[in-house]
Amino acid sequence: MDLAVKTQDLSRIYKIRGGKKEEAKELVALDHVSVEIKRGELFGLLGPNGAGKTTLIKILTTLLSPTSGVATVGGIDVAKEPHNVRPIINMVSGGESSGYGLLTVRENLWMFAQFYGIPTKVANERIKELLGIVGLGDRDNTKSSDLSTGLRQKMNIVRGFLTDPEVLFLDEPTLGLDVGASRDVRHFVRGWVDENKGDKTLLLTTHYMVEADELCDRVAIINQGRVLACDTPSRLKRNLQRDAIFKLEVSPLNGAGTGSFEKLAGVRQVTHQAQDGQSILEFILEEEDVLGRVVNTMTNQDIHIFNLEKREATLEDVFVDLVGKSMKEVEGDSDS
Amino acid sequence: MDAQITIPQSRQDNTFQRLVRTFRVSAWLGWQIEANWADPLVFAIYALIKPLASAAIIVVMYGIITQGDFGQPIFAYIFIGNAFYIYVGQVMSGVSWAVIDDREHYRMLKYVYIAPIHIPTYLLGRGVAKFVFASISVFVTLLAGVLFLQIPLDLLQVDWLLFIVSLAIGVNMLALMGLMLGSIVLLLVNHSFGMGEAVAGALYLFSGAIFPLEVLPEWIRWVGFIMPVTYWLELIRRALLPDIAAGFPTLASLSNGQLLGIMLGLTVFFAVAAFLTFNYCDREARERGYIDRTTNY
Amino acid sequence: MTLTAKVTKHSGLRLFLMTVFGRAYPRMVGMLRERSWMLWEIILPILGVSAYVFIYRAIGAPEIYIGFVVMGGAMTAFWLNVLWSMSSQLYWEKEMGNLSLYIMAPNSMMGILLGMAVGGLFFAGQRALVITIVGSWIFGVSYEVVSYWQLFAVFMLTMVALYGLGMMTSSLFLLLSREAWHLANLAQEPIYLASGFYFPVKNLTFWVAAGASIIPLTMGMDAMRQLVFPDGSSLGFLSVDIEIAILVGLSVLFVVGAKLMLDYMERLAIREGRLTESKR
Repeated sequence: MDLAVKTQDLSRIYKIRGGKKEEAKELVALDHVSVEIKRGELFGLLGPNGAGKTTLIKILTTLLSPTSGVATVGGIDVAKEPHNVRPIINMVSGGESSGYGLLTVRENLWMFAQFYGIPTKVANERIKELLGIVGLGDRDNTKSSDLSTGLRQKMNIVRGFLTDPEVLFLDEPTLGLDVGASRDVRHFVRGWVDENKGDKTLLLTTHYMVEADELCDRVAIINQGRVLACDTPSRLKRNLQRDAIFKLEVSPLNGAGTGSFEKLAGVRQVTHQAQDGQSILEFILEEEDVLGRVVNTMTNQDIHIFNLEKREATLEDVFVDLVGKSMKEVEGDSDS
Repeated sequence: MDAQITIPQSRQDNTFQRLVRTFRVSAWLGWQIEANWADPLVFAIYALIKPLASAAIIVVMYGIITQGDFGQPIFAYIFIGNAFYIYVGQVMSGVSWAVIDDREHYRMLKYVYIAPIHIPTYLLGRGVAKFVFASISVFVTLLAGVLFLQIPLDLLQVDWLLFIVSLAIGVNMLALMGLMLGSIVLLLVNHSFGMGEAVAGALYLFSGAIFPLEVLPEWIRWVGFIMPVTYWLELIRRALLPDIAAGFPTLASLSNGQLLGIMLGLTVFFAVAAFLTFNYCDREARERGYIDRTTNY
Repeated sequence: MTLTAKVTKHSGLRLFLMTVFGRAYPRMVGMLRERSWMLWEIILPILGVSAYVFIYRAIGAPEIYIGFVVMGGAMTAFWLNVLWSMSSQLYWEKEMGNLSLYIMAPNSMMGILLGMAVGGLFFAGQRALVITIVGSWIFGVSYEVVSYWQLFAVFMLTMVALYGLGMMTSSLFLLLSREAWHLANLAQEPIYLASGFYFPVKNLTFWVAAGASIIPLTMGMDAMRQLVFPDGSSLGFLSVDIEIAILVGLSVLFVVGAKLMLDYMERLAIREGRLTESKR
């Protein structure tokens, strides 16, 4: 099999320095991660903030060495031969600006093209065409400091594609973009992979479920540095299809919590979210019949049901099934 | 969610309280950024090595030409002017550098801007730490002058009241000049190495700090007479070394009271000019969207 | 179609030169685009230099010292440029998010540093030239060049060694992070003093002058003063030939040092993963 990216038992431990007298603490960012990405694949890494996605990208882009394990890009070991990896890769990080505010969009992009050895004439043609594709065609002579966050991110994305990498890493590329711009970016990314017919590989990290679902050929779900599952979005969801997933809008639980539901036989997972003075409960049940017991419990607790719907499994459900919490809850836990 | 956020009474302060709060917080912030006293290297660099090296350049220049005749009044004149000129560079750059540092390094200027504080007061507060550093530098420089270079400073002869009043007015005046510069910096790109110091270096020429204004060509001398720093340094010399000051004729016809009056008048003028400049530059910077830009290249 | 077109890319020396030009470009156009540099880089420094000229006038110094000050004032442009736009620059690049992109690209980081140096040299060169011309004109400085060849050699070697020093310290300052700020500040007035920017370095006694010679401008200025001012050689520290030899040594030392420091910095950055992240 022709692999664009391969990691084997890849781990990365950060030493976090405390105050002057405190000893360094260890933070496991990646924990024996093994993934294989085929050439021509659009591969997604899905996980909450702090799951280890950016660490993995940094290792693969030669910016960080692993603590243990092996990672290759295009068959080349990223730790041992970073100089041979660099000509075939590029990276775009969401929410970051790059280049110099005093330069125009075209000049900033030209400068980066120089760093990759692309002749000026070729670079200028590509810059013009790529800017047109992302809707920045009329802004090529605008100073990048005068661009809005969204437009600057589009420039950043053009920088990634400009150098014609064999493997492109997009780290949260739609972070901070509005709905329309995010859609444009997703459309463009998919088009790039499809049109190059198995030649170009793209690794995308995101914590937006829809993005991963819509875009990726395969998705790895990552949490606390470990890959919990890796498959096509449809197959990941299909494993849950035999379960019944219900969404209920009910009167506020008011601190009662979801403990009483979790104890019920046949209830696999429950998540709870307060919204607009109501509680939104999502249940993954082993079979539909279990719903009766859930409703009875609610009636006993004087909880009113305003709305009840059965729905198809999403990647969010897959995540909840694997981790036991929603991605928001995981991020909330790590914030607190 | 029907949450209602209540602002504590202490936060609903009047204008004066707001100014005091702004000044206190920004002075604290400047202190945290600049004055890491726990680090002996930082202390040594800013309070000792830089000012002493600066003074030593002039001492060496003087020593080479006069074969080390440091007993002459002109040397004391130069030395005292140079020592107190440390305040000019430090206080001015302390205030103006805050704009670049907050905008481009910490990228906090935009948040400072949207907070309910008084921005000019915030910038002035950021100069406090530099003032403290400068005071130590001036003291150390004077001490070196007295101990090793025959500077005839006699503590019993010093007119302390004149010294303290002059110093207080002078430092405020310098901070206002720094505010004016900081305001202009709002519209400028990052010329990293201390713009405040560049301006101070240029004003060095006109303020009679290191030579009497008579040395300057006549057609340019007037610049010195409209600069408050000139009067301030004269007052400092009169307070510390009355005999030396009397030997130089530049401002001899003016009494201490007249000098204080002129300096006060020019300080008020600079205060008005600083706030007008700030208002203009602030409006322009927001108009052009410069508050949150980064310009390093 | 851009999405599928194969792109030709240069490598090796061609890529290195393209990188140098690419990184020098922002500095060159940046200067032209923001005219305010003329105030900070030309007008104010000329006033600052003038102050030192008038000190000499006030104490009745011979005219040759006026020329020394003008040259010293002009050369401060290069020193300040090396300190604040070379030594501190990788730190700024890290804060702006560019450093990781530079490391990740196939170009050599030496190319990036050299590009910064070339752009900076272009920038500072203009300031130095204007200060020299205007200062000489205002204060009537007269020159008498002994050897144009030697003058050219001294200037070029001084610049190579000086910017080599800047390239080397840029990695060092990056490792020191915010502390580097203080070091750059430390290297201002004390170096003006030790390198003899405003007086002949010979007057600082042999050992102080010899110690200060680690800064290429010390030797460079001393040699140039001997070469361009009438009687300049009487105030020189060492003979011009010896100073040229020392400058050659410093050039090699700093350029090689820059490469070694850069490799070390990159290794450390990749191992610890903290140098490419902003620590604001």
